Amino acid sequence: MSDERSDKATVTLRVARFQPKAERERPARAGRRERGGSPFGGRRGSSSPFGGAKRVRGRQWTQDYRLELSPETTLLDALLTVKRTVDPSLAFRYSCGHGMCGSDAVAVNGTPTLLCTAKIRDVAKLPSSFPGADDEGFRKTGVPAVVETDADSVTGNPAGDADGPLDLGVVEIAPLPGFAVLRDLVVDIDKMLDQLRKLKPYLIADGVLATTVDGKVDVFEYLQRPEQLKKYEQLTNCILCGVCEGACPVYSGGEAFVGPAALINESRFVNDSRDYEHDGRLDMIDTADGIQACQSVRACSRPCPKGIDVGEEIWQLIAQVRER
Amino acid sequence: MARMSPNTVEEMYDAVIIGAGAAGLSAALGFYRSEAVNELRERGVEPKVLVISKLQPLRSHTGSAEGGIAASLGNIEPDEWQWHYYDTVKGGDYLVDQPAAKLLAQYAPETVVNLERSGVAFSRTADGHIAQRRFGGHTKDYGGEPMERAAYAADRIGHQILMTLWQQCVNYGVQFAEEWYVSDLVLDDWHDSRAAAATESTAESSSGSGERRVEGVVAFDTHTGKTHAVHARNVLIATGGAGRLFHTTSNSYDLTGDGMALALDAGLQVEDVEFVQFHPTGLAHTGILLSEASRAEGGILRNGDGKAFMADYAPEHRDLAARDVVSRAIRAEVDAGRGVADPKDPDGPKDCVWLDMTGIDPEHMREVLPQVLETIEMYGGLDPTRDWVPVKPTAHYTMGGIPITVDGQVYTVTGDGDGVRTSPVTGLYAAGECSCVSVHGANRLGGNSLLDACLFGTRAGHTIAANVLADPVDNPMADDGADTGDDTDPVREAADARADDVRALLGTVTPGPENETAGEDDNVDNMGGTAAEESSDANAYQVMDRLGAVMDAALAVITDGDKIDRALAEVGELREQAAALASHMDAAAFNQEITAIWETRHLIELATAVLEATAARHESRGSLYRTDYPKRDDGHFLAHSMTGRDGDVDWKPVEIVDIEPRQRAY
Repeated sequence: MSDERSDKATVTLRVARFQPKAERERPARAGRRERGGSPFGGRRGSSSPFGGAKRVRGRQWTQDYRLELSPETTLLDALLTVKRTVDPSLAFRYSCGHGMCGSDAVAVNGTPTLLCTAKIRDVAKLPSSFPGADDEGFRKTGVPAVVETDADSVTGNPAGDADGPLDLGVVEIAPLPGFAVLRDLVVDIDKMLDQLRKLKPYLIADGVLATTVDGKVDVFEYLQRPEQLKKYEQLTNCILCGVCEGACPVYSGGEAFVGPAALINESRFVNDSRDYEHDGRLDMIDTADGIQACQSVRACSRPCPKGIDVGEEIWQLIAQVRER
Repeated sequence: MARMSPNTVEEMYDAVIIGAGAAGLSAALGFYRSEAVNELRERGVEPKVLVISKLQPLRSHTGSAEGGIAASLGNIEPDEWQWHYYDTVKGGDYLVDQPAAKLLAQYAPETVVNLERSGVAFSRTADGHIAQRRFGGHTKDYGGEPMERAAYAADRIGHQILMTLWQQCVNYGVQFAEEWYVSDLVLDDWHDSRAAAATESTAESSSGSGERRVEGVVAFDTHTGKTHAVHARNVLIATGGAGRLFHTTSNSYDLTGDGMALALDAGLQVEDVEFVQFHPTGLAHTGILLSEASRAEGGILRNGDGKAFMADYAPEHRDLAARDVVSRAIRAEVDAGRGVADPKDPDGPKDCVWLDMTGIDPEHMREVLPQVLETIEMYGGLDPTRDWVPVKPTAHYTMGGIPITVDGQVYTVTGDGDGVRTSPVTGLYAAGECSCVSVHGANRLGGNSLLDACLFGTRAGHTIAANVLADPVDNPMADDGADTGDDTDPVREAADARADDVRALLGTVTPGPENETAGEDDNVDNMGGTAAEESSDANAYQVMDRLGAVMDAALAVITDGDKIDRALAEVGELREQAAALASHMDAAAFNQEITAIWETRHLIELATAVLEATAARHESRGSLYRTDYPKRDDGHFLAHSMTGRDGDVDWKPVEIVDIEPRQRAY
């Protein structure tokens, strides 16, 4: 994946780094991360049990890595190049490298996405052309409009001079909003999984399993027609990457909310004709921190790497809960 | 619970499962769904089981499997398990243990039906049954026409199966330790084995002294940086394959052969590791898999002249011949100068051919090959409904692995030929790609890997459950102190040794000035607390990269004695580099470099065994094609290689009960 050799360009990866304090506990400071993450704001100083990400204390800083590479390179390949050639201590999760495993969700220029599906060409920005404004045109407050590229920044190769390769600018890479940062880009997703686990995320049917007698099975599969499958098939593609959660202002803002990912996985069973618990599942999610907490902002839809229209699906779920 | 990981590690587990992909999760479910565990619970005994995974849940590479899972359901056309059995044996170029392949075919329908009844969202026929598609090497009537045997869920069957198995594990309350890395497999002869490794002599002393027994594992919690001594009466290794031996691979970055290397480190053997499947259709130089379903649905391979060349190599089955046949055909076209360059690297080597999917109806393509379409668009920048797509064989699957019986029991072999003797390792089990029950022989058929992992994983879970029923840790009837006998604790010792190793890996770091004042507005660009400025020295990621290049050059699709010798010498150099690796930061918590260093060492250990086994097999069979021995040689090599840490290879005869080896053609 790092074999691409077409027209090289330079890019600066501006990575939010964090190293947890191992022993000593120190009072936390508001850091760049809270401010730079969700535009709707982290809950600084909040101690609500659902209060967004729990705070892990440690040292935070941003680090620039300047690389020369093809604009077609994915951010994952770029960061792997950093690990291999510049800084092996940079921590981020990755596994399959092509959008199937869901390991590598981060915020790129403030927007949740997967490292392996984001290409440098699409996400690098020349700082001067967007003075202080992010993708949506929002201007962050309290930040210098243009962040100076530090002359001491660690570089993968000598910085290109004026006649060197095209400079694509800067990509800001930060941990996924709404989740506690454990180290660098590695976040704690246990809260998301715990919320999912509470909603009985498994098929509930007659529970009978087949056994083989004389080379034949004694029971067959549950029948399900293609049109019944269509009702939930796309929902089964969820890879639990957390991108929709990071994009959701309610979830990442730290409100008490089970989150879009759990609701999508619940909807998967609500709409599965084989499942016996249809009504029970609707009851389970009809709570203050369940479907009632969704404000239908639909920020969750756009970034889904599996193309699930999360907001629309949750809207359908709300309709089903109401019509009960 | 704040973390899935256990708050305290138990004194002793009934069973520890290493790996949470299809095999590990099937074993956990097989265990909890067994009669034996029901009986235990009726007695009021709760078994203590822990699944340890180096990944978070649902990140396992099972999720990347695309095409299907084979079973003679006969939902499209009448099918017989005997045909599936025959195809599997032939596909494996007769290096298949036939009793195991028979079970595979016989129990395939049960396995697939139970996956469906557990929740897998299979694609469906119009009348609601599980849909099936054609797959390479699967035929009707013992080698006749290709037929629909692969049950599928669009082209995301692995993701569906992984999700469903995990969901059911949630249902059964399976306990996980996530992002824990197992660094050591500890047998009762840990001392002798270590001494033998230190002197590079064989562990004959221990293997000669009768049966060995598993004592537990050492696991490193990547979150805290602490090593744990995990005692267990039963250990199942289900860590998956080793595609990362190669640079061009369809495998995730985590497929580093850990389980096989753990077995080698413990003085055990690996079986048939010279057989590595190169999937014909990796997306050009990325190695990313384009499912065989792309050809099953009508895709055609074309050379640089636009010719559909597979008819020249496999007149009957053409593009749906077995994978080894197709990969070699691609290589032959490339070697004959009829290859094409990766369009992204137009001046690079002409080492690809075209996959022409333009004959597939675009609507149908979106319906049944959404993932393939997405991968080509995203990572190839092409539209397969209009453009031909460059493809190249990519390292995909290790047919070999830790030798197991059909019940999952790990064993070792001594002696050769008629004098061959097998000894089980008590309490040690394996399943899935890291194991070798030898259903795949020298080449695996598409659709048989998920089946192998789910079926033999489940069977191993049943075996372990029966063991636990006979003697549970939490046994109200047990005498006090029944477990004692001697007071040495090899697991504790191994954990202490590993903790020393971690300190040594961290110890070479010279801590920089702690930058305590790094506050909100500082754009601090130093590496405070780390030593990465001194990055001129090697790191694990570089060594892995070099290893991949060495192995690609030596073993990808074709090889010969000279290539193997050269690679052995180069891997020897890399072994020294890997031994000298150290961490570039001084904290153990969330230090990905530490596990990367261990993975690198594991890969090198396994690479050596793969090269030694390849060197020892003087023939060409299945996925292994040696230009210096281009013919299959049943007279000498109708046998499984059993390779140890020292590179010695023993041979175990193939079990042939029904199907006589004959010429293999498609």
